[in-house]
Amino acid sequence: MSLPLRLCVVVLGSLALAGQVEAGPVSGKLDLPKELPPREPAATKGFLERAENPLANPRPVVVLPYMVVVLEQAEGAQKGAAPGQVIWELVGESFSRPVMIAPIGAEVVIKNVSKTARTLVATEDDKLIPSGPINPTGSKSFRVAEAKVYNIGDTNAAYLHGTLVTVTSPYIATVDDAGKFELADVPEGNYKLRIFYKSQWLEGTTDVAVGPKKTEVNPKVPTLIASQKK
Amino acid sequence: MFFSKIWFFLIALVAAVGLTIALVMPRPAARNHGNEEKQRLVVACTVIDILLGDDARNRVELASAFGRKTEVVAALDAAGGVALDETRMKQVRSLATNIIEEEMKGARKPDFAVLIDKRGRVVARVALDENEFGDVAAGRPLVDDALAGYVRDDLWAHNGTLYLVTAAPVVKRETQAYAGAIVIGHQVTNALAQRLVKSLDVDVGFYLGKDEVAGSKTLAVETSPLLDAVKRLSGGEISQDCLANKSFPIIAGKESYTALVARLPGEVSTRQAYYGVFIKRPAALGFVGTLEAVEQGDLAPSSFPWIFVGGGFLVMLGIGIALMFIESDRPLRRLAAESVKLGKGEAERLSEDAHPGKYGSIARSVNIAIDKLGREAKTAKKDMDQLLGPSPEGSLGTIDLLATALPAVRPGGAPSAGSPPPSEFKFHSASTQPGLAAPPPRPAPAPPSARPGTPPPFAATPSSRPVAPPPPPLGIPTPAPSFAAATAPPSALGLDDDILGGAGSDPASAPDVGGGGDDYFKQVFDQFIAMKKSCGEPVAGLTLAKFSEKLVKNRDDLMSKTGCRDVRFTVYVKDGKAALKATPVKDD
Repeated sequence: MSLPLRLCVVVLGSLALAGQVEAGPVSGKLDLPKELPPREPAATKGFLERAENPLANPRPVVVLPYMVVVLEQAEGAQKGAAPGQVIWELVGESFSRPVMIAPIGAEVVIKNVSKTARTLVATEDDKLIPSGPINPTGSKSFRVAEAKVYNIGDTNAAYLHGTLVTVTSPYIATVDDAGKFELADVPEGNYKLRIFYKSQWLEGTTDVAVGPKKTEVNPKVPTLIASQKK
Repeated sequence: MFFSKIWFFLIALVAAVGLTIALVMPRPAARNHGNEEKQRLVVACTVIDILLGDDARNRVELASAFGRKTEVVAALDAAGGVALDETRMKQVRSLATNIIEEEMKGARKPDFAVLIDKRGRVVARVALDENEFGDVAAGRPLVDDALAGYVRDDLWAHNGTLYLVTAAPVVKRETQAYAGAIVIGHQVTNALAQRLVKSLDVDVGFYLGKDEVAGSKTLAVETSPLLDAVKRLSGGEISQDCLANKSFPIIAGKESYTALVARLPGEVSTRQAYYGVFIKRPAALGFVGTLEAVEQGDLAPSSFPWIFVGGGFLVMLGIGIALMFIESDRPLRRLAAESVKLGKGEAERLSEDAHPGKYGSIARSVNIAIDKLGREAKTAKKDMDQLLGPSPEGSLGTIDLLATALPAVRPGGAPSAGSPPPSEFKFHSASTQPGLAAPPPRPAPAPPSARPGTPPPFAATPSSRPVAPPPPPLGIPTPAPSFAAATAPPSALGLDDDILGGAGSDPASAPDVGGGGDDYFKQVFDQFIAMKKSCGEPVAGLTLAKFSEKLVKNRDDLMSKTGCRDVRFTVYVKDGKAALKATPVKDD
């Protein structure tokens, strides 16, 4: 190889190395407001109104299972790895998580790990989920093509309900019982973190500057209102 | 009769009004009855809802007591932090079964129980799917609320069966931490339905869509109308269904019911779970139905105004009878009595003014008839007198009777001896005929002892009454007087037109019409011709045939009217003219 050719290869290789962006994990904990929303009325009611037990105060309202977060690039088109697969389990009388998030193009797999067959339908698109029941230990998968909120339920069990949120960004995460979340392999750059709660995106975003190493962010959750529904 | 008619009109009016009331009255009664039935249905529906609420309260107490069991708390607390396995499941299930079997003897024993840890997992099940465990029960509102610390009830449907479920949290008293929740369920059964309507006198059925789950009575009800009624309720408050919904008729087999439906609350409300309250529709009342519904006690004197009804009936009957008596019976009786008097001859006329209304009209009509008969009789008498002259002494009063009405001869009865009918003889005076000589003086009147039927002897003077010679025996012609044969009949001037009309002018050519009496009629004829000649009357045209025919006709009339055996004719002079008198001959 001649010298000029060698120089050319080095420059191009340097340029190529210079264009590569390092990726790091983003983790954090949601900073919930001190005042949680009041407990919503019972989804169903028998002959009596529900009443507090006389032995202990009721548990506080649970909000974290209903939250998911997403990192969206501040400018330009969303870039990232292939969407991959999202697994959502049916664990009995409910989904493993009431709210699930998936990037556009990802394969959403609903696995029935309960002992009851379920027939799920998305309210917004009755053809989103392949028709037919999902037998115990069975599964059904589908892909979503647009960013949207889907309400999925069982036609035979009105109480069984899940919300699927699809986003353009591949950097998504669910929140555990402590409010912690973690997004792996987020490329360096400036992002905005958004929080989805129950049925809608919460107002406000958190700017996140992802560096080459682990990024810690504790976004502050705005006041939650029980009636914040679509 | 005026007031009687008014009275009958009033009676008919009262009867029509009574009938109208009888036919109409059941309708509002039936309507009210229907409304009462509907109201009763609403009340029953509401009561059932209340009873179900009370039952839910008891079940909540039961679940709470179950959840407070120390063993249960410990078992669920221990299961909450570990992986569930079958051994644990069986241990907890055995524990729960013992509690249900042993400690809930007096209470309403649940049909199933589910023990759930604080993470929402099923640790164990009792009685229903009891081999399954580890699945997540959280997600059902009842379980979620129980895990959150609330006690409440709900209704679940499982394999076509309806369950009344209650849940209570399981709390560790020491730390007031939640260890899980307990769910117990009671199946909706026929026994429950019967217990609910035990004191309501209605029927109740529980339904899941088109399927009947349980009922107080087996009713083959078509559920489509029930579902339609349920759909009409959508959107409203379920607890107000009994008041908001309207009852409707429904058929169950051969029986008709009125139904009211109310949705069942809870989870099953989305599966069209409801209960229907049924009440048997009463048979259509109507007039007949009302009568059929009358019981013996309804007619008891204590509950029915028999005195008033009986008194009213007697008053109406009395007034009617009184009006009938005053306006009909009494005047009729009076008229009848007066008619009897008239018939007996005790009165000549009916008193018209004494009889009111139609009876007066009848009396006037009778009087008019009497007057007419009198006038006709006078006319007949006048004609008879003109023909025959006054009645001779010792006769049967022929002439006298002509002036009065003749009593009718009753069939089979004896004829009146003193009232013979008038003679129909009618001869015109020949003196009016021109060219006739004056009649000769009539002979002296015959003695009263002259036999009837015997032609009288020739009267010397026309003005004197004829004195009949001793009459010959019946059928034996009396020898003609000498003058009869001597006097030839003059030209046709002596008889009136009736006798002369159609007859020949030759007396000798007259046919023999008398049969066995021809000689007698010939004798009378001869006497009459002779008398007319003696009186100077013309005899032309007077033939024996016509004369005999007239006599036969007159004899027959008299015999038929008076019932006499025979008739004798007497020739005499009246007012200077020859006259003929017919005298009935009675037996003996």
